[in-house]
Amino acid sequence: MNTKFKKVIGDLRINPGRIILVIFALVIGLWGVGSILVSYTILSHDLNENFIRTNPLDAAITSKDFSRLDLAALRSRPEIEKAEFRDFSSLRIETHPDEWIPLWLFGVEDFANLNLARIFDQKGDGGPVTPADGAMLLERDGLKFSDLKAGSRARIRAGGRIVDVPVAGISFDSAQAPGTQDHLIYGYVNKKTYSEITGEAANQRLIIRFKNVESRQDVEIVADNLREYFKSLGIAVDAVKVPKFNSHPHQWQLNTLLFLEGSVGFLAFLMGAVLVSQLIAAILAKQIRQIGILKAIGASRSNIFQMYLVMVLAFGVVSGAIAIPLATMSGYAYAYFVANIINFEILTVSLPVHLYFYLIGAGLLLPILLSLPTILKGTRMSVRDALSDYGIRQQDTSSNRSDIINRLPIPGNLALAFRNTLRRKKRLAVTVVTMALGVAIFSTGFNVQQSLKDLLFDVNNSMKHDVQVVLINQIPKEQVEKYFSGIDNISRIETWNGGRGGMQSNIVSTDDGVGIIALPYNTDLVAFRSVEGRWLDGSTEPEIVMNQEAAALYDHPVVGGYQLLSIRGKQLKAKLVGIVDEFEKPKIYMDKDMYDGIANPNHYINSLMFVAKDKSFDKVMALKRDVEKAIAPSDLQILYVMMQAERVKIIYDHLYIVLVTIIFFAMLVLVVSAMGMASATSINIMERTREIGVLRAIGATPKMIYRLFVTEGMIVSVAGILLGLLLSWPLSIVAAKFFGNLMLDIALRPAFNHIGFAITLIATVVFGWLASRIPARGAIRVSTREALSYE
Amino acid sequence: MKVENSDMSNRPDFIQLRNVSKRFASAAGRFDALKDIDFSISQGEHVAIVGKSGSGKSTLLNMLTGIDHPSRGTVTVNGTEVHTLNESRLATWRGQNIGIVFQFFQLIPTLTILENVLLAMDFVYAIPKHERKQRAMALLKQVGLDQHVNKLPTALSGGEQQRAALARALANDPPIVVADEPTGNLDSKTTEIIMNLFAQLVGAGKTVIIVTHEKNSGPVYDRIITLKDGMVIGDRRGDES
Ligand SMILES: Nc1ncnc2c1ncn2[C@@H]1O[C@H](COP(=O)(O)OP(=O)(O)OP(=O)(O)O)[C@@H](O)[C@H]1O
Ligand SMILES: [Mg+2]
Repeated sequence: MNTKFKKVIGDLRINPGRIILVIFALVIGLWGVGSILVSYTILSHDLNENFIRTNPLDAAITSKDFSRLDLAALRSRPEIEKAEFRDFSSLRIETHPDEWIPLWLFGVEDFANLNLARIFDQKGDGGPVTPADGAMLLERDGLKFSDLKAGSRARIRAGGRIVDVPVAGISFDSAQAPGTQDHLIYGYVNKKTYSEITGEAANQRLIIRFKNVESRQDVEIVADNLREYFKSLGIAVDAVKVPKFNSHPHQWQLNTLLFLEGSVGFLAFLMGAVLVSQLIAAILAKQIRQIGILKAIGASRSNIFQMYLVMVLAFGVVSGAIAIPLATMSGYAYAYFVANIINFEILTVSLPVHLYFYLIGAGLLLPILLSLPTILKGTRMSVRDALSDYGIRQQDTSSNRSDIINRLPIPGNLALAFRNTLRRKKRLAVTVVTMALGVAIFSTGFNVQQSLKDLLFDVNNSMKHDVQVVLINQIPKEQVEKYFSGIDNISRIETWNGGRGGMQSNIVSTDDGVGIIALPYNTDLVAFRSVEGRWLDGSTEPEIVMNQEAAALYDHPVVGGYQLLSIRGKQLKAKLVGIVDEFEKPKIYMDKDMYDGIANPNHYINSLMFVAKDKSFDKVMALKRDVEKAIAPSDLQILYVMMQAERVKIIYDHLYIVLVTIIFFAMLVLVVSAMGMASATSINIMERTREIGVLRAIGATPKMIYRLFVTEGMIVSVAGILLGLLLSWPLSIVAAKFFGNLMLDIALRPAFNHIGFAITLIATVVFGWLASRIPARGAIRVSTREALSYE
Repeated sequence: MKVENSDMSNRPDFIQLRNVSKRFASAAGRFDALKDIDFSISQGEHVAIVGKSGSGKSTLLNMLTGIDHPSRGTVTVNGTEVHTLNESRLATWRGQNIGIVFQFFQLIPTLTILENVLLAMDFVYAIPKHERKQRAMALLKQVGLDQHVNKLPTALSGGEQQRAALARALANDPPIVVADEPTGNLDSKTTEIIMNLFAQLVGAGKTVIIVTHEKNSGPVYDRIITLKDGMVIGDRRGDES
């Protein structure tokens, strides 16, 4: 082999510790960026692909008159791509003894021949099994929180009856929001069974996919025309539902994750880059004298350039060989983790070739690019500078700043530490900024988490009831209340109209489908956080309060202005007196008596708010079970029975994946920056081996040297931490706004997480301490030998 | 194998310094390390440069090797105006024309003695590839290291390391060998061995310039140039004394 490259290999062998550090840093960086790239590639494609391959519907139209519709004629209309009857009813299903959750039951025309709103078998590869008459399929996500499985018999509550339905098999519906997050189960039966279970006629809900539509607006226009067409046939349309156009209901979650991944990946990449370039610079700094010798014996600049290029390339090859397979594996693992939570299948079996090109390119080119300035500087260094000390010393001739430090009244040792810290200003700046960024992001992660927790806290506090029962229909109060008279732990029951979620907006709502909640204006069961204006106060003038979602829907009306609402065909001009913050579908709050006066002359109700005497979790759980027990034999048609605590949990489950990811990524950034910090300190020490030798020669004990370096390291990390914490404040405000909008369409309130702050402070101080301690320890151990091997 | 030399005619102005001055500017202020140095060295001469510490000996040597440039004046070596070459040309030129021996040997610690010699040949394309190993072995034999060719520098004594460094300096068969206090770190016995090797080189027609403190070894040299405060204060022929 060429002697030149033998030298390169020899150099690599001589200091394995440092080489391992560089490779480690490169592997971490490449691994992090690589897995983000891999999972990004998979996720950004697969959720949408999962959704699209179901052939999702554009609109669902309900009517009781579809018997008059000639489906074949409809299908032959030019704007229709596909149309079929897919009935839908919201029932309840028992997941564990006396625990009931909503069952969204679909009546399917032909399981063997699905080409619109398709569902798949459990594994997601083929069509579902066809359930026999009387049996049903369950969506797979529901298995995660119930005892049900293929072969078990499910108890379903429909209308006032409980029916036993065998579970014929498990299906997978990748167009639905994951059942685990919404706490419901999807079920599929044939038309005959649908009618048997629900007691309703089949073919009342038509699902349609249109041709040549490109947006929700397009769909709405086409659907309106269709409504006219139905009218002409004498078909009265009850409702037209247009979901988000061509987008999975939980695409927002994925978008948040992808954004997090992208920005953190970029950041980790930058930090890793800084780290690697610093390490390589340090290794080359060690070689300065040898570069001098090589040049003195005739090596040209390009000879030297080549040699160090080969060295750096070797780093790239080794770290790429380790990191790329790891990145592929962990990227896939993360994609599967996300897919499991959002309930979709990973469809990407082989990553696109160009991705590997990127990874290999990044692995090989990065170290080269990053070390190029240092290599060039090294090769450009003159023989004299390389061989003498003058060249090196000249760079750090004292600045006036160190004079200032000399004049400060601080102990001599600390002054020396300060002066040393300021010697390499550029590196110091890079180190402090890296550390600060890590600290800022770590701390911001906690603060955003706190903002989300605050939101949950608000949700929990804004509703003071313990259990809510919501009926599908509005009925006389007495007919409902009588069932619960025997239950012990009830302090009182308040009756409302309206309830949670989008489903219930079909029952109590404005005529354009915005949910209404009619409640005693002076109820003590709600305490929303006010965004603007005030709560209802029982004045004679009609007043309403909107939540933020509703306000957004009405294009942010002015508080104090009047709003025209149409309820049950009646016009209501009401004054908007306030906007409240609520994590909910759009809702309009109004006084119960006012609502009754307009649209509810019989004072019917559909919502019961139970307040428990004993509010401990177990007792409220027991209360809920008692309520369910009371409902079971009744003829009440229940939409849902829900504990307030459960409601909070549902919201929490929606945000969980984001919370976990935020903290995980924040941690990653912190670790990378701590590594950068440690490497900067060790580089600092490496470069000053000779200085250490001299210090010892003039009588400094190892302990003194050790303390000097630890002090230096701590000065840097404390500066980084302080700057980071300072930075985290504006960053937290921006992040709370940003993530709130991205995830929930609301701006989260910036919050300060005390515990997170403490953790950040302790973690970073400890990191900083270790980062300066470990290399300092190495310094005093190595110095004896190295100081001797030098002149 | 004897160290061959192509041109035996003793060219008088083989190395020529004309009004060479060197001024260093540092934080402490300006400092004139060399002041109007003016002399020539003819081919095949064995020259010692002596003087007190700080008198400018190393600085002067750096002018000859092109390691450093004069602030004023010209340096011509073997017909080349050294101060006009750029870094890259200089490296090749130096490899072909000058072998350098350092006080602290400066062998590459990760390579064996043999590889150290080969490395120098790798950089300068003066020796054909297939002859390199043979030549390196011959050079090492010449300095008495044929038993140690595959050892790392650290496994050798100071004197042996310096002999290896000498072999490396001769790798590309340069007409000129310079050494900056090559024996400064060695005992008198080893010093003698090294000095004899330099004398042999002169016998083979090389021009040898050595910076040294060893005043008493005067008779070995053809010529002794004495520096003081950056000026030549003595220049006498060895046979004159
Ligand atoms: N790069 C430089 N910058 C500033 N001053 C320098 C530089 N190089 C040398 N000097 C100064 O020039 C003078 C001559 O230095 P030089 O190294 O040539 O001395 P020397 O005769 O070789 O001494 P010694 O016998 O101790 O090696 C010294 O006073 C030295 O401080
Ligand atoms: Mg000197």
